[in-house]
Amino acid sequence: MEHPNGIILENHATVTLIKIQGDITAFSESFLNEAYQKANQEGTNRFLLQFEPDAYINSGGIAVLIQLLALAQKNDQRIGITGLSEHFKKIFNMVGITKFAKIYDDTEQAIEAMLG
Amino acid sequence: MINEKTVELSLPNVVGYERIAMGCSETFAKNLGFKRERIDDLKTAVAEACLNAMKHGNKGQTDARVIVVMNYDDDSFQVEVWDKGEGISQFPNDPDIDRIVNNLDPVFGFGLFLIKNLVDKVEFNKIDSQGHVVKMVIKKK
Repeated sequence: MEHPNGIILENHATVTLIKIQGDITAFSESFLNEAYQKANQEGTNRFLLQFEPDAYINSGGIAVLIQLLALAQKNDQRIGITGLSEHFKKIFNMVGITKFAKIYDDTEQAIEAMLG
Repeated sequence: MINEKTVELSLPNVVGYERIAMGCSETFAKNLGFKRERIDDLKTAVAEACLNAMKHGNKGQTDARVIVVMNYDDDSFQVEVWDKGEGISQFPNDPDIDRIVNNLDPVFGFGLFLIKNLVDKVEFNKIDSQGHVVKMVIKKK
């Protein structure tokens, strides 16, 4: 029933774009941690997480994302988020993720803003 | 609650099957004229109630079932999610992301938090002979 995760990393100057394919649930923990470690190796301290607009994100996935935000906070890194549906923009705001990661409407706009 | 409009699903107690209930509730609510925003709220609430039932209510037992009963009236959609558990003895506080990110609180309680904030009414009841039920109402608005 799970849609398997995939990841593509792209460097845009000082921003690493992390394209996340698939759903975000409790099963995504090791995958997302691995993605974060790989992004860390790129040597940038600004990460843009790009989700698929039809991704299923549940409370387990939200918990995993918050753990990742905690790591980024500890390492003085900046996180942006893009690709979310309107529903998940609302959910992320509701649970407080937007206190620690800015949500952008599109990827190009996000990269430009994060480079500034 | 069961009448000529009722839809009832019996799900395996396996994480992932909550998507069947999400898809069914989406189709049902769409046919009733609910708007996309409300349908998305409904789907998330149904998913989280099913996940709680599977993990906490039925404690992951693979031979247990989660029963989802859906119905509607003029302006609202009602969903019951049944498991064989004892229910919630003490409701957790709403998660505080500032404390969680600073490692002062465990990462916990987001499922209930989402349910409470996405539906118009929610009740948690233990019914001795039948198990525990979460009853949710979401209005068309």
